[in-house]
Amino acid sequence: MAGLELLSDQGYRVDGRRAGELRKIQARMGVFAQADGSAYIEQGNTKALAVVYGPHEIRGSRSRALPDRALVNCQYSSATFSTGERKRRPHGDRKSCEMGLQLRQTFEAAILTQLHPRSQIDIYVQVLQADGGTYAACVNAATLAVLDAGIPMRDFVCACSAGFVDGTALADLSHVEEAAGGPQLALALLPASGQIALLEMDARLHEDHLEWVLEAAAQAARDVHTLLDRVVRQHVHEASILLGD
Amino acid sequence: MAPPVRYCVPGERLCNLEEGSPGSGTYTRHGYIFSSLAGCLTKRSENGAVKELPVVSVMRETESQLLPDVGAIVTCKVSSINSRFAKVHILYVGSTPLKNSFRGTIRKEDVRATEKDKVEIYKSFRPGDIVLAKVISLGDAQSNYLLTTAENELGVVVAHSESGVQMVPISWCEMQCPKTHTKEFRKVARVQPEFLQT
Repeated sequence: MAGLELLSDQGYRVDGRRAGELRKIQARMGVFAQADGSAYIEQGNTKALAVVYGPHEIRGSRSRALPDRALVNCQYSSATFSTGERKRRPHGDRKSCEMGLQLRQTFEAAILTQLHPRSQIDIYVQVLQADGGTYAACVNAATLAVLDAGIPMRDFVCACSAGFVDGTALADLSHVEEAAGGPQLALALLPASGQIALLEMDARLHEDHLEWVLEAAAQAARDVHTLLDRVVRQHVHEASILLGD
Repeated sequence: MAPPVRYCVPGERLCNLEEGSPGSGTYTRHGYIFSSLAGCLTKRSENGAVKELPVVSVMRETESQLLPDVGAIVTCKVSSINSRFAKVHILYVGSTPLKNSFRGTIRKEDVRATEKDKVEIYKSFRPGDIVLAKVISLGDAQSNYLLTTAENELGVVVAHSESGVQMVPISWCEMQCPKTHTKEFRKVARVQPEFLQT
């Protein structure tokens, strides 16, 4: 049985993309009127929805309040119909908790939390369809939602995944490429300053190749930034027209 | 013809610190001013002082959530009282309504400026009263916002009597029900004459 060829001799991937090419990204801000901020993003077939509430008073135990910063609370949930086989446990499993923690670390680096002491910012992300690169789609959707809510941020947070096959670094992996078992790296970047908000990989990769994979992911994140920048400007322009500025 | 509006996004470098001073919606780093919100860039020059730098700020169309700050006048509703303090829900900060209400506390010694130890909370506030107060502290790990009504212009603005009718203030410490003519004790706010409708 012939194995699935992730990268052909001519340099095409399974879905016809080039090594460093991103999937088609479509995004919308202000999807829900009742939340403070919301956004929806589609990266290829991966669809994620992010909703932001805040900053508001700390709910629950007041002892968790930080005297000089806001508390960022992130929750990740993937729908039962998001994967090929129906998922049995949509909430509270290890992967969701870990994703929530990673999202929190990412956004604590970007949001200017000193401006809202003793308050809480909630970021809820829901994955509706998972076709690889779910962490990246969640971060990109959450960035747009935080912007929609008007919470001050240092910079955009743009994320992308990258892998390494046949000596070439691939950017923006789809589910087929992730399931093939090669090394995968997820990178969240603050594009203007080039600072890394989060870098995650749990596979084996030779250190000589790390630089190429990192560079591929960083370039892909910068490309995502160009796209998200355009979406945000479009949204702000439309909002100001609607309000008759 | 309106000048072209310039939109900016977070992380965009706006200008040098020598050309402007940072306002709301911006932050500074390495001698440059960056935007922290997605909105319209505004440059306002302080009128009067010529050598003051223009204030560079980013405005959004819909104002984001306002948090009560120390010294702000807030409008709140009393939710419960106790012999030592009254717990309130903060509804408005200045004249902006809040989407989610915050919790605040008015301690017994912060109700009045004079005779602080002789204050009885039961004779100053009742649950359901609308009170104008000032924020004195953001609170610490154990407490909510601390408020004070120890000024003439602060205190109960709207209160209902035991028969359910809105009462009329007659002095700084009493209000009267127009239906039953009973007087009830409250710490009444002295409303500015321009806000009174005659």
